[in-house]
Amino acid sequence: MEAKSIEDVRELATEDIMSPWKLAWRRLKKNKLAMLGLYILAIMVLLSVVGPLVSPYTMEQMDLSNIQSPPSLAHPMGTDEVGRDVMTRLFYAGRISLSVGLFAVVISVVIGSVLGGIAGYYGGFIDSLIMRIVDIFMSFPFLPLLITIAAVMSDWKVPPQYRMFVVMILIGILSWPGLARIVRGQILSLREQEFMQAAEALGIRDRRKIFRHLLPNTYASIIVSATLDLGSAILTESSLSFLGLGVTPPTPSWGQMVQVARDLYTLQMQPWLWIPPGICIFLTVMAINLFGDGLRDALDPRLKR
Amino acid sequence: MPGTITKRGEMMRQYITRRLIQMIPILIGISILLFFILQLAPGDIFSTMMNPHMTAEMKEELRHQLHLDQPAYIQYFYWVQGVLKGDFGDSFYFKQPVTRVINTYIWNSFLLSLVSFILSVIISIPIGVISATRQYSRFDYFFTVVALIGISIPSFYFGLLLIKWFSVDLKLFPVSGMMTPGVNFVGMEKAADILYHMALPCIVLTLSSVAGLMRYTRSSMLEVIRQDYIKTARAKGLRERVVIYKHALRNAMIPVITIFGMWLPGLFSGAIITESIFNWPGIGPIELLAVNNRDYPLLMGINLILALLTLLGNLIADITYALVDPRIRLK
Amino acid sequence: MADDLLAIHDLRTYFYTEDGLVKAVDGVSFKIKKGEVLGVVGESGCGKSITAMSILKLIDPPGKIISGDVIFEGINLIELKEDDIRKIRGASISVIFQEPMTSLNPVFTIGDQIGEAIMLHQDLDKVNARKKAIEMLKTVGIPRADEVVDEYPHELSGGMRQRAMIAMAISCNPKLLIADEPTTALDVTIQAQILELMRNLKNDLGSSVMLITHDLGVVAEMADYVIVMYAGKIVEEAEVVELFKNAKHPYTIGLLQSKPVIMRDEDRLNSIPGQVPNPLHMPSGCYFHPRCSHAMDICRESQPELKEVCEGHKAACWLYEGVI
Ligand SMILES: Nc1ncnc2c1ncn2[C@@H]1O[C@H](COP(=O)(O)OP(=O)(O)O)[C@@H](O)[C@H]1O
Ligand code: SF4
Ligand SMILES: [Mg+2]
Repeated sequence: MEAKSIEDVRELATEDIMSPWKLAWRRLKKNKLAMLGLYILAIMVLLSVVGPLVSPYTMEQMDLSNIQSPPSLAHPMGTDEVGRDVMTRLFYAGRISLSVGLFAVVISVVIGSVLGGIAGYYGGFIDSLIMRIVDIFMSFPFLPLLITIAAVMSDWKVPPQYRMFVVMILIGILSWPGLARIVRGQILSLREQEFMQAAEALGIRDRRKIFRHLLPNTYASIIVSATLDLGSAILTESSLSFLGLGVTPPTPSWGQMVQVARDLYTLQMQPWLWIPPGICIFLTVMAINLFGDGLRDALDPRLKR
Repeated sequence: MPGTITKRGEMMRQYITRRLIQMIPILIGISILLFFILQLAPGDIFSTMMNPHMTAEMKEELRHQLHLDQPAYIQYFYWVQGVLKGDFGDSFYFKQPVTRVINTYIWNSFLLSLVSFILSVIISIPIGVISATRQYSRFDYFFTVVALIGISIPSFYFGLLLIKWFSVDLKLFPVSGMMTPGVNFVGMEKAADILYHMALPCIVLTLSSVAGLMRYTRSSMLEVIRQDYIKTARAKGLRERVVIYKHALRNAMIPVITIFGMWLPGLFSGAIITESIFNWPGIGPIELLAVNNRDYPLLMGINLILALLTLLGNLIADITYALVDPRIRLK
Repeated sequence: MADDLLAIHDLRTYFYTEDGLVKAVDGVSFKIKKGEVLGVVGESGCGKSITAMSILKLIDPPGKIISGDVIFEGINLIELKEDDIRKIRGASISVIFQEPMTSLNPVFTIGDQIGEAIMLHQDLDKVNARKKAIEMLKTVGIPRADEVVDEYPHELSGGMRQRAMIAMAISCNPKLLIADEPTTALDVTIQAQILELMRNLKNDLGSSVMLITHDLGVVAEMADYVIVMYAGKIVEEAEVVELFKNAKHPYTIGLLQSKPVIMRDEDRLNSIPGQVPNPLHMPSGCYFHPRCSHAMDICRESQPELKEVCEGHKAACWLYEGVI
């Protein structure tokens, strides 16, 4: 009996300490909507990666004898104004839109967690300075700022094939403040907790304290908000490219492909040119939101909404 | 207690003053940021604004007049000096003072944003509350899906779909603009005409903000109905309706109000894309026009106004917050 | 019986959680006489609060009252419709909760919150309800009552808030006052004051009290009759003197032995070796057997019933099987 209860305790302890990620994954797998999101996302990624490889056309291959043709067997989504295969461009655009979103989020996570971590850990003057910068960024309307910078950067005559890097850096640099706030808040409350005081007693150096001990405890919320930010980054890129200020032709992106619909004739008569890319954006962002919500519920059941 | 009320009123006045003062450094930060972003552009306006009739000397002369031959930080001070006097410079494109251009268009934006803001509030709060009180019901699932669609669909795409379906295919609504061209309606007819033009852009703006507000109200409400004081209210024998709409809602709205404050200006700048898709003569198309023509004085003016609106929105939110939550100490 | 105010018979309240079924209250029966103070004791999580809230049918999903009768003044409350039981809540039966910090609504004044119950059940208008609220605040010993009535909960100390809660609870002269750990969250000196207040009020009003606590010291001071709960069941019950002098159930004995003077609940939890069983995985037989030093084979196999072990004293334990 004695032994049994000790075993019980041990089992309980391992469940609590060793496998929060496994536990979260188990909970996530039970969430049908989140898994649906994951599947849609996987399909989108797969199509963007594999699609161009299996397509008989290339991204820029024009067929001037066959322009603006509606969907057919040869061109399941029709052709555009210079006879390029829309479906092939859609796959390529997926690569661009997904990777711009992904790297923008990576950039903002790196900046946001480093600055948020420093602010939360050191407090005092450094904290106020960083948080004032955050305030400035946050009290600025995001889209106008983005548009303005994008316009200025257009004047730099960046070659079109590098535009996507400019766009991802731009979105990344403008999106970090929200994350910095979250990380800072978490670090502040973690710092008060016992294990940190224990670390302090052991005399662990500052940098190691932040990065080895405090940041890992904020991973759950960083991952959740990064996932949801990925959705907004993809939306932002698409809006920017739609306005002609993001990824520019001949490099395609989903938002940019919708741009043709600003022409009333195309809007009405050639829906195959702009409906599919819009659906791709919508499905991808929705899938990310579904998955992100599920992730939040799984990683922190207390936050369950 | 009249005594407490005046005391709180006095504190509130001090609080607002303090908050207004705190806005100053942020505004300065924003203006510096904005100004120097524009400095990143290669060359100056004369490399983009080409006028074949201008000789090199005239250009030099103009550069000098506009202080463009001075270092950037000096130019900044000249610009700030003007702004403080209400002079944002002249728009290159409109050949008019920036303030006049903004004044011409901003009210249309206000109209559109305000109507969709009010609609969003009216729609999202009741739905959020009912979703929370009937968590996991069909009602809740249905609006969860609606909200999901609302936050996932790009507004330009949704706008284009509406134009295609309702304006082009069904011919129910006008494709663009704010008034029927060539007709001079007055009074109620004019209002009706504007409403008719406003319907589609309004739906686009409302859907996206309803989605967020609804979810926010729901989760705030879910949080509140778990609290002990809700149990106390029920144990008093109050009707469920009173428990929810008096005791719970009042508390649940406190965080939602903050969001409202941020939403209004957000709606405003989010309207840029929607307005330009529907050609609504607001600040959105003008901002894009300024961007595309590198009309920097106009761009600066608009951006600064939008930033100011954002700050004011936050301030109003904080004040309302302090008004509804007696626990807020007005430090 | 004529002098029974409340009689509960075989009450079962279960929670259908995502992880499984939790039998929070599992076949509980007891009575409260008019003017009596019933003490309900047991470690945290044993189902005391859920029992109390079941009386007023204030159980939120995923919880559900599965079966049982709650006869109050001859009426079975379990069968009442929502509209009818609402007339009992806060009027004939009222509740004082554990946490004075969170049990009052932060956005309404004390006066509004007390007045609300008064207007609802006593048919008074706003002005008179306010007067009555001030009077109640005075009754519970709040100084400056006519100012406090317009203050918000956060402006009061914990002890004052609990007094305000009591004022609210007694404002409609309840016949039964359910006090769910009314002093647990308070400082020791404040605890004594609140208990003193409750004792006086009880004598003045002649109400019955269901006093829930895990503090045997409080029970000894206040209660006439005591029931001891463990894992959703009553394991022992007797008059207070009998119980303290002559405890039978090993769990009660454990509680009594570990009884330090006045302490907070964290310390108390460790007083009996072992842990409260996981409600999702109850042990077989007697729920207490993993922690019981007298456990026998039969204890692991089947569950003892609550039976009289000597006159006016019941226990659910195999040790006393066949004693009477
Ligand atoms: N909302 C709920 N969901 C699931 N289980 C609950 C809920 N509320 C209470 N319980 C279960 O009911 C049991 C009894 O709770 P309670 O009556 O509050 O205990 P206490 O004796 O401390 O007042 C607990 O073990 C808990 O597991
Ligand atoms: S029945 Fe057995 S295990 Fe349960 S309390 Fe009695 S002796 Fe202990
Ligand atoms: Mg309890």
